[in-house]
Amino acid sequence: MDMLASLLHTTPAIAWMALKVVIVFGGVMSLAAVWTWVERRGSAMIQDRIGPNRARLFGRWPILGLAQIAADGIKMFFKEDLVTTDANRRLFWLAPILAFVPALMGFAVIPFGKSFVSGGQTYHLALLDPGNGMGMLYPLAIGGMAVYGVLVAAWSSNNKWSILGGMRASAAMVSYEIGLSLAVISIFMTTGGYDPAEIIASQSHLPWKWNVVPQLPGFIVFFTCMFAETNRLPFDFAEGESEIVAGFNTEFGSMKFSLLALAEYSHLMTASALIATLYFGGWQVPFVKDPPVLLSVASFVLKLVFFAWVFVWIRWTLPRFRYDQLMHLGWKVMLPLSMANLVFHAWRMSQGH
Amino acid sequence: MFITFALITLLGALGMLLQKNVIVAGLCMVAAFFGVAGLFVLLANPVAAALQIIVYTGAIMVLVLFVIMMLNSHEEEKAQTPRPVQRWLSLALVAALAFGAVKLVMASAGLKALAVSGAAVPRAMTLQKVGTTLFADHLLGFEVAGLLLLAAMIGAVALTKRDL
Repeated sequence: MDMLASLLHTTPAIAWMALKVVIVFGGVMSLAAVWTWVERRGSAMIQDRIGPNRARLFGRWPILGLAQIAADGIKMFFKEDLVTTDANRRLFWLAPILAFVPALMGFAVIPFGKSFVSGGQTYHLALLDPGNGMGMLYPLAIGGMAVYGVLVAAWSSNNKWSILGGMRASAAMVSYEIGLSLAVISIFMTTGGYDPAEIIASQSHLPWKWNVVPQLPGFIVFFTCMFAETNRLPFDFAEGESEIVAGFNTEFGSMKFSLLALAEYSHLMTASALIATLYFGGWQVPFVKDPPVLLSVASFVLKLVFFAWVFVWIRWTLPRFRYDQLMHLGWKVMLPLSMANLVFHAWRMSQGH
Repeated sequence: MFITFALITLLGALGMLLQKNVIVAGLCMVAAFFGVAGLFVLLANPVAAALQIIVYTGAIMVLVLFVIMMLNSHEEEKAQTPRPVQRWLSLALVAALAFGAVKLVMASAGLKALAVSGAAVPRAMTLQKVGTTLFADHLLGFEVAGLLLLAAMIGAVALTKRDL
């Protein structure tokens, strides 16, 4: 690290920060890109098809069709950038950015490995160091911003189906955010802190001490709400091609569509990371008390990839909900469940002291 | 940093006032609130910044949804008669308010404490501190606000539900 810093004429702290930005954003973005392929191959596997396996790297190596990602990227990049005549041009241009930036930013606070000391300096493996005062409020705030991308995309395309999709997405977000926040608050309460580092430390290395065990109802609520937040099936009311064409992204093509799709997958990665951090011990390695740094990073990435796969798995297993079922589930099942979870843990804590 | 966030706030607020399109105005409002959140972070109060974004993103979104659902045109309607008196009156009122606010801030104890050299740097606000302050020092205000919100919620349900 010191060598790198002296090469770049900066202090180790700044070099480390820049490196972290590259690792985190590069990592999340490439995982999101890979997940476009995983989704297609995974759906093919679940539906007993073959899926995309034709694209070859340099026309030679068919590595399981992974070259499809590059092929899609090149195709999207060179497509004509169409804007419909009645669209609000400025907002139409802004919408993919509004969708993409919050999806990536939410990851900044999540520790993806154990902090380590080298040369008398502590290096934290998270973009925002622990003790920044924002803690887990930050991904909640940024996650709330994400819906503007969908809403602006929907409204700016000036299309009935798009607006319907955008409205459904924002109504779903508003109704599920309350249950989500209450589930997270009960974790704050039992942890006694709201910094992700504290939450991970309190869960220790024993899997039965992870938050998922004492807070199973909270986990169910959080997990369900994450589907609504990321607009994934069975809750993908922003799209719903059998009802409203492609919903909010009907009018989008070329790189703009690509950005909207990447935003969805980045959001999925952030959601999986949040689930792993809050309920599955983050970077903690089961039964290893003081894991080496690389092992802790591997453990975190493994958990993240697993939950990202669960998102794909559920999408191709469950049918889409009806809209009133979604609202019913959100307000009459999830909200009372997470309230009951909160009250139960408050009662247990009051008995303990 | 301060200049950046202050500019975001001011330009957002100006855009909200001058923009004819109601939805773009709503988005400008989001930008303004985002700038204010940034200012809160600079003031060592990240909790307020996060809560600002969490509360207002939802609120403004509902506002924008109302505009889409209730109004057919998204353009501002022209006033039927020009209102010169109201315009100048509102300008004077805003100026008086701004003057009073600046005067209050200038006279506050916090600003005087800043002038003392070598004073302890205040620690960043945490959620725990917000909670203890709310429930220890401002309990009455907190309960009154809660009661008010509950009343508003019940009122909304009573207005929309035909048969309870």
